Amino acid sequence: MNEIDTMKSLRKEMIAISNLGQDGNLQSCFSSLEILWALYHDGMNYTYENRMEKEHDRFVLSKGQSNLALMVVLAKCGYIRHDELKCFCKLNSRISMQADRTKFDGLIECSAGSLGHGFPIAVGMAFAAKMCDFPGHVYTLVGDGEMNEGTMWEAMLFAASENLDNITMIVDDNNSVNKMLGGMNLPEKLSAFGFAVENVNGHNIAELRSALQRKNGKPTAILAKTVRGYGCKTLMEDPSWFHRYPSEDELPRLYKEVDEF
Amino acid sequence: MQKAVSEMIAKDPLTSLFLVDIGVWAFRDLLVGYPRRVKNIGIFEPGTISIAAGLSLSGITPIVYGISPFIVQRALEQLKLDFVYQKTGGNFITTGASYDFSTLGYSHYCPEDVMTLKTLPGFEVLTPATPGQFTCLFKACAKNGVPSYFRMTDYCNKNEVHIDFGKAKLMKQGKMGTVAVWAEMLDAVIGACSNLDVSILYFTSAVPFDYEALRSYMDKKLVLCHPFYEGTFSDDIQKLGWNSDICEIAVPKKVLRTYGTKGDKDIELSLTPEAIKNRIQNFLIQP
Repeated sequence: MNEIDTMKSLRKEMIAISNLGQDGNLQSCFSSLEILWALYHDGMNYTYENRMEKEHDRFVLSKGQSNLALMVVLAKCGYIRHDELKCFCKLNSRISMQADRTKFDGLIECSAGSLGHGFPIAVGMAFAAKMCDFPGHVYTLVGDGEMNEGTMWEAMLFAASENLDNITMIVDDNNSVNKMLGGMNLPEKLSAFGFAVENVNGHNIAELRSALQRKNGKPTAILAKTVRGYGCKTLMEDPSWFHRYPSEDELPRLYKEVDEF
Repeated sequence: MQKAVSEMIAKDPLTSLFLVDIGVWAFRDLLVGYPRRVKNIGIFEPGTISIAAGLSLSGITPIVYGISPFIVQRALEQLKLDFVYQKTGGNFITTGASYDFSTLGYSHYCPEDVMTLKTLPGFEVLTPATPGQFTCLFKACAKNGVPSYFRMTDYCNKNEVHIDFGKAKLMKQGKMGTVAVWAEMLDAVIGACSNLDVSILYFTSAVPFDYEALRSYMDKKLVLCHPFYEGTFSDDIQKLGWNSDICEIAVPKKVLRTYGTKGDKDIELSLTPEAIKNRIQNFLIQP
């Protein structure tokens, strides 16, 4: 199976799981999928076996609403059992809308949920790596809407001041913020805050891999242009899918749309 | 405080200190001696607490020093989600207890800190009132893997009491009632009770709360005396199932707008030794 077919397969799996768990942020998850896939497939120096070693690369999901996409990617990597995904959102499950790191034995670095937390924590991890002379790089996925949070810019001030060239912030830029505030101009602001800025197509895995592997001698922000609900016509066109799950009746149509995309 | 923190930084390379642009003079030698681990990070408490959590999740013990309301209230969500939810340890030392910064106004007061942090499960809330007590509690808690809040006051007790972490200290035994006292109120309570036939129990932690120490006095009248907002220990007293009369001598839950000195405030709020004595006496003689 090539990577495009794999992405289709994972999108259909997310639709099915969302139906089973009766909850979902499918638009966000579809937006982030290729980024997460690229991270765990040659983007990072990471294996399940080396996850507890301090030298490996680390990943923090700051935009917690993309957790289901992360879970299907980790399952595809073999780090989570596929049948466990069926427990999505069930009582006492460890697979839910947002991740709880205490249930994952090092596989998930940071519990998520409230926006504006993961990235500053990732900055602390990068600073710790510098302090201890660990070679590992820290990657973190944030949302463009999340960039409205003040803590993001607080942490950027620190990352630039300490010249943390071992952190890469990937912005899943699915045009959320422009619906709320005008004049955001993220590239200009990120650059002004001391970050090297890379612009990529956030659904192009090859472009993402290449950007993830580039080191810029300073903190890096990859602006990944994405589309909410990418890969499924209904999810791309209907804003109500930001937070809802598909009914049994809707499944065939959504699967078909993914196949035909 | 400075000595205990400095010793830990010097001895343990897996520790780090962030100053929120406060204490820079006191820690000037550490800032020069350990520039990679000791930083005057600047004034952004929420981001600072999150970054400290990143250190903690990397095996480094973070220590953050700042002003009480800006650590406890401005960064409350970070304390909750980045330390409690992540189940990781850290140390938060503050200055500006209650209305210590009396001339600065309500923005710099924090009599609600203990009550607020008690809402975070697993968060240690420590209220030492001498440098020696801080050292004892810091050594016990700094690297125990849970978040710990050290509420420091500029108005330390002159009575140096040797303490154990989590244990109340019996200062005096009496028959008429029991006074449970916290933090810098101890000196005033000792003065107030010099001629009263009461027991005095001195607490240096709010969490953990030493229930056992109070349990043996449940048949007597109880006075709670502390420099925090009234009601701070209501849940603890309820948990004990207290069945005798209770009087609380504490900071009233209102916006304090009067400035003045710390002493002026004590008079205004009836928290001087004389006022405390009168309040306890009146309470004890009530049928």
